[in-house]
Amino acid sequence: MSGQTLTPLQTTASVERRPRTGERRFDVFQVIPYIIFFVLLISVVLLNPRLLRLSVLETKLNAAFPLLCVTFAQSLIILTGGIDLSIGGILSIATAIAATQMTGDPGSIIFWTLAILAAGALAGAINGLIVTKMRVTPFIATLATWSIWSGIALFILPKEGGVMPAVLKTIVQKGGILGLPKSLYLVVLLALAWQFLKRTRFVTRLYAIGSNRKNAHLSGTPIHATLIMAYALSGLLASLGGIYRTIQYSTGSPTAGDPFILTSAAAVIMGGMSLAGGRGSIGASLIGAFILLLINDLNYFLGVSTFFTPMVQGVLLILAVAIQSLGNYLRQRRLAL
Amino acid sequence: MADLELKHAKKRFGAVVALDDATLQCNRGEVHGLVGQNGAGKSTLVKILAGVVAADAGEITLDGRPLNVRNPAAAIAAGIGMVFQELSLIPDLTVAANVFYGRERANGLGISPRGLQRDAAALFDRLGIQDLDPAAEVRDLPLAQRQLCEIAKVLARDPAVIILDEATSALGARDAEWLIETARRLARSGKVIIYISHNLRDVQNISDRLTVFRNGQDVGVRAAGEATADELVALILGRRASRLFPPRTEPIGHEVVLAGAHLAGGARLHDFSLSLHQGEILGIGGLTGQGQDELFRGLYGMLRLRGEVQAHGKPVQLSNPRVALGAGIRLALVPEDRASQGLVLALPVLHNLSLSVLPRLLKLGLVSSRDELRMSDELIARLAIRLNSRLAPANSLSGGNQQKVVLGRLLATEPAILMLYDSTRGVDVGTKAEIFQLLRELTAKGSAVLFYSTDVDELVNMSDRVLVMRQGRSEAELAGADLTEENVIRASLGEPVKRAGAPITTGQTALVAEGGVQ
Repeated sequence: MSGQTLTPLQTTASVERRPRTGERRFDVFQVIPYIIFFVLLISVVLLNPRLLRLSVLETKLNAAFPLLCVTFAQSLIILTGGIDLSIGGILSIATAIAATQMTGDPGSIIFWTLAILAAGALAGAINGLIVTKMRVTPFIATLATWSIWSGIALFILPKEGGVMPAVLKTIVQKGGILGLPKSLYLVVLLALAWQFLKRTRFVTRLYAIGSNRKNAHLSGTPIHATLIMAYALSGLLASLGGIYRTIQYSTGSPTAGDPFILTSAAAVIMGGMSLAGGRGSIGASLIGAFILLLINDLNYFLGVSTFFTPMVQGVLLILAVAIQSLGNYLRQRRLAL
Repeated sequence: MADLELKHAKKRFGAVVALDDATLQCNRGEVHGLVGQNGAGKSTLVKILAGVVAADAGEITLDGRPLNVRNPAAAIAAGIGMVFQELSLIPDLTVAANVFYGRERANGLGISPRGLQRDAAALFDRLGIQDLDPAAEVRDLPLAQRQLCEIAKVLARDPAVIILDEATSALGARDAEWLIETARRLARSGKVIIYISHNLRDVQNISDRLTVFRNGQDVGVRAAGEATADELVALILGRRASRLFPPRTEPIGHEVVLAGAHLAGGARLHDFSLSLHQGEILGIGGLTGQGQDELFRGLYGMLRLRGEVQAHGKPVQLSNPRVALGAGIRLALVPEDRASQGLVLALPVLHNLSLSVLPRLLKLGLVSSRDELRMSDELIARLAIRLNSRLAPANSLSGGNQQKVVLGRLLATEPAILMLYDSTRGVDVGTKAEIFQLLRELTAKGSAVLFYSTDVDELVNMSDRVLVMRQGRSEAELAGADLTEENVIRASLGEPVKRAGAPITTGQTALVAEGGVQ
C-alpha cells in the first residue's frame, strides 16, 4: 500500500480561487414559490388583519399541520422520482387507531402514539419492499397499498366516530408559548428537521437516486435500503399527520387521509420539486402547501364561492409548473450542447 | 502470481458471448493497457472487476486474497475504483458532492456543503486538477469537465486498483496529459492502473504492458515498448488491418453547399467564417471549448448565431433543428453524446432507425411496418450494425454500434450536409474504419461533411481541409501538404504553422486557385 493518502483533510484551500466554470448564477425560478407565498400571505393579512390574532393563527396552523406532515412525506418519495399515493391510507389507519384505542391515561397516550407511528413506518416499509424487491413502479405499488391500508382503516373504524382524549388538544394545540401558538413551534420544528435532514448522507442519496439511479448504483449507493428507509419515513410522517388531525377534530374518520393524497402532490409541485426526482427542496414543498391553504383563505375573504377554490388552485398549479419549465428551458439554452 | 488477477472469466448476455475464458493479470506499479475492438470483452471484463456485471464464472484475487465483488459498493470497499466511460456522476449534485459521494465528512450539524467544496478544492489542488469548480452542478458542465470530475471522484477514494475506461476521450490535450502523468505517478506509488482506450498510440505511450482482447478472450500480452502498432492492430483484428482512413476517390465539387460569414454566438464563438463544398470533408480543429460546440449547435439551429449563413447558395435562418433538417437545407448532426442526444435508448433499433423519416413511411396515415423493416434492414446491412435482433433496444448495443444507429437514422434522411461533432469518440478501430469508409462513400455521392474531432490523427487524415479554431475565431486554414498533425497542434496553441510550399495568403484564395470555386 502506498503511504500517500488522498483522504480530504481540513485545509485552507479556497474555493473562491478556483475558476467558476459551472452555471452558478442566482436562479430566480427557485424563489418563485416563496414570492407567491409572501404575496398571498400579505394579501390575506391585509384583507383580514384578524388573522394575526393568536387564536386565529392557532386554528389556521393546527389545520395546516397534517398537510405539512404529509407534504414532507410525499416530498421524500418524489425526490427519488417516485410517488406515494398510499399516505392517504396510512393517515386513515392512524386516525382510526387513535380514535378507537387511545384513552386519557398518559400511559395509553404514549403507548398508542408510538404504536401508531410504528404502524405508519411499517406500512411505509412494506411500500418500500414492494417498490424495490418486487420491482413494482411506485405509482402502481402505492395505488394498490392505498386500497389495502384504507381497507384496514375501515376494518378498525367502520364509520366516522371514535373519541380522542380532550387532554391532548389542551397539551398540543391550545394556547401558546411566549406569545406564539404551539403549532407554530411544530411547523418551525418541521422546517428545522428538513434543514438538518438535507445535510445527511441519507437525503443526499435520495437526491442521487432521483437524479440518476444507475449512476447512484455505480457510485455505491445501497439503493434498496435507502428507498425502503424513505418509504418508512414517509409512512411515519403520514401517521404523525393522522394523529394530529384526530386531535384537531377530536374524532376519527376511516377516510380522513384521502384528500391529502393529491393535495400533497400538488403542494410538492407548487414548491418547485421535479416529479422526475433529483431536484427541489422539501422546505419549498412546505411553502407549496401553505400556498394551497392561502388560496383557500384568499377566496374565502374575497367572497369567492368555494366551488371555485379547486379551479383557482388548478390554474395556479399549471402556472407554477409552466414558470418552472420556462426556467429550465432558459437554463438549457444558456448551456452547452 | 500477479497482484491483481481475474482468471477464466466467462459471461454471456442472452445469446451473445461477451467473455469466453478471459484472463487478466496485472501488477502493482504498472500501467496495464487493455486493447481490442468494441465487443472484444474488455469493457465487460473491467465491469466485472468494478462489480457492475456479475460473471458467470471466474475468480478475482487482489494481493493473493480472493475478492467477492457482488455490486459496485463492494468493489469500492475492496479498493477498486473505476472511471466509467459513460461516467457515473449524479447530475443534480455539485462537483464536490459527487467527488465525496457516500463518504461525506459530517459534523454535529450534518454535511456542510461549503466544507465539502473546500475539501474538494484542496483535493484538486493536491491532484493538480485545474479547471474544475467544486460548487458547479454537474449537469451544467461540459463533457470534458464532467469527465475530469469523474476521475477526481475515483482518485479521491484512493483505491488500490484504478480502472480508466476511455478516460481521456473527452479531455482536452492539457488535461489528458495531466491524467497520463497522474496515472504513471500513481502506478509508481504501488497501485494497479488499468487503462483502456481506442487510441492505440495513447495506450502504447502510457502503458508498461498491454493485454489484447479479441472475441471475448485475451489473445496476447506484450510489453508496450516492444510491440509495434502494426503488430497490435493485427492482433486486435485477427487479420491484417485494412486502411483506417480510406482515400478520396472523387474530386471535390465546385458548389458551396454551406457558407457562414462572421458567425458569433454563445459565450465562446466570436467571429468565424467557413465555406463547405459539395463532396468535401471540412475538418474543424482546435482545443476543446474554442467555440466548436457553439458553431455546431448554431448551424443545427439549437443556438442563435449572429452573422450570415447560406445553404445551397440561399441565405437561411437556422432557427431550430427542423429548419436545418428540412427539405431546403437537409443538414443533419451526429452528436457527441449518443446516449442522451442521438438515440431513444429504450426503443428498438428498428424504430430508432426510422424515427426521422416516419412521414415517408406513411401509408393511409399509418406507418407501414413492411417499409420500415425494409428500410431498417438496408441500413443495418449498409452500416454493418452488429445486433441480436432489430427489436433489441438501442441501449443493449455496444457504444460503436449505437453510434452507427444514430448515423443510420440520419442517413435515412439522405442529408446533403452531415455534421459530426466528435462522433467517433470512444468508438473502436474497426467501427471507426467503417464509419470513415461510409463518409467517403457519402462524399463521393455529393454530400458534404463538417467534421469536428478531438482526435488530431483522425482530423488530419479524414479531412480535405481543416479550419483550426482558437478563442472563437479561425486560427488557421490547413490543406494539402500543410495539413499535418504538427500544424494542427501548432495552430491550436496559437503558434505559427509551418507552410510547405509557397506562402499562401489566405486559405480561401488557395482553395479558389485549386478548385476554381464559382
